[in-house]
Amino acid sequence: MANELTTERVAILAAAARVQLDAASAARVARAVSPTVGRFSAPDIVVPFEVEPATFVVVQHRDARR
Amino acid sequence: MTDPTMLSLSELATALRERIVSSVEVTQALLERIAVWQPALNAFVAVEAQEALRAAEQADTARRSGAPCGPLHGVPLAHKDMYYNAGKPAGCGSKIRAGWIAPATSTAVKRLEAGGSFRLGALHMAEFAYGPTGHNAHLGHAHNPWDRSRITGGSSSGSGAAVAARLIPAALGSDTGGSIRLPAHFCGITGLKPTSGRVSRANAMPLSFTLDTVGPLARTAQDCGLIMSLIAGSDPLDPTTCGAPPWDPAATERSPSGLTIGVPTRFYVDDLEPDVASALDEAVATFRRVGARLVKVDLPDQTAVGAAALIVLGVEATSIHAPWLRTRAEDYGPQVRARLENGLAYSGVQYLEALRWRGLALEAHLEALGDVDVVVAPVARSPAPTLAETDLGPESSAHAAIQTITSFTRPINYLGLPALVVPAGRTPQALPIGLQLIGRPFGDEVLIALGRAFQAATDYHQGVPPAP
Repeated sequence: MANELTTERVAILAAAARVQLDAASAARVARAVSPTVGRFSAPDIVVPFEVEPATFVVVQHRDARR
Repeated sequence: MTDPTMLSLSELATALRERIVSSVEVTQALLERIAVWQPALNAFVAVEAQEALRAAEQADTARRSGAPCGPLHGVPLAHKDMYYNAGKPAGCGSKIRAGWIAPATSTAVKRLEAGGSFRLGALHMAEFAYGPTGHNAHLGHAHNPWDRSRITGGSSSGSGAAVAARLIPAALGSDTGGSIRLPAHFCGITGLKPTSGRVSRANAMPLSFTLDTVGPLARTAQDCGLIMSLIAGSDPLDPTTCGAPPWDPAATERSPSGLTIGVPTRFYVDDLEPDVASALDEAVATFRRVGARLVKVDLPDQTAVGAAALIVLGVEATSIHAPWLRTRAEDYGPQVRARLENGLAYSGVQYLEALRWRGLALEAHLEALGDVDVVVAPVARSPAPTLAETDLGPESSAHAAIQTITSFTRPINYLGLPALVVPAGRTPQALPIGLQLIGRPFGDEVLIALGRAFQAATDYHQGVPPAP
């Protein structure tokens, strides 16, 4: 499954970041982070095509002017 | 006169202005109290007695000479040890930055000092502000003034303990996932996590540039408003503050009648310990009594918001610390190292989706609020747990425990909303219980007004912990 966070995937991501991570630590990270990754990849979270991070500031300031 | 250490910040500023007490007398009284409490609390990482007394003498001389005096003239303050003061160490609760000398002063501290305050020392914090309990593998743990076997909450652990024990009238903390609100709740004081972009973070230690906020811990909402009146406002050194409205002192004095307060129907009211649930019920009754309108509010799923917060925090903290993770990983405490390693596991796409979703999540939250001005909610499900119960190692279960402690606070950072914690109850063992008043964007002043009204009707903020 695409969103499943495996020990192997954590090890690859750590290597890409040039941080040493032993196998036990990679397994611990996978266990720790999987619930968060799973929750955020649930189908109720959809980000439309045109939305960018700065949309947050637009919404924030729009409400301040109400 | 009354022992000056028992005065709130606002009362102390008035007493100094009216020359009822001198800055030297205040500083000496605080130093005497610190000498008694510090061995029990570990709230300070540095007490600069001689320098503080010299600054107090200068403040008294200036006042006598008729020089213009700011609203905090002659007030000694201490802040979380992540606010840089040029030429002073800022260890950030770490081994890695122990002895590091800051090259510049943080904007927030500069503004407080421009208002007349001076530095008494520096306060304990979780290592690099990355922990919600007040444990610290390098400095030793901070202890709760109400029960030394219990946590202060973190990461602004020293700020919470020192203000609660009356060792300092107010302090700056920082809040990335609850680090002002949790110590305020566990230690029985008042704390404001401002709207994102309301207070400059320039020359304060970063943890997550998206979620970090700078704010006060003090005894009262009025005191938090006084600090905010000095530190809020745009700063060219922190672009996130551009366009934020100026602080409006008059709005902090508005009446609660006419305000609508929302009580969540789920999540923030699920699985509460009975004392916390009672405090919430009692607070709702108090708000009704002071004239506010109470309604139920059905907020969007906060577990999704909390997950997005964890992704943003995890990636940004790990990115900031990546150079040290590569070269000095063994110099982190085990729990902080483990949390930083967790941040390696999110992909670039997940991180950017979490950032892009933020505006939509805020929009959905505001839509759910309708005409609600403020949401009242617990800060945590329980009062302060013991240090032993929360002495978490690097194992993955520790990650889950940390998430539980911050589950009611973390979503608010992601949404960028202001939240004021006010003491609102006590357990039969006298442990404090706080509630958070969560506002709309840039509605910080409304929270101060509501907090003032609540504290005029209650006395939970007046409690003083028994001497050690």
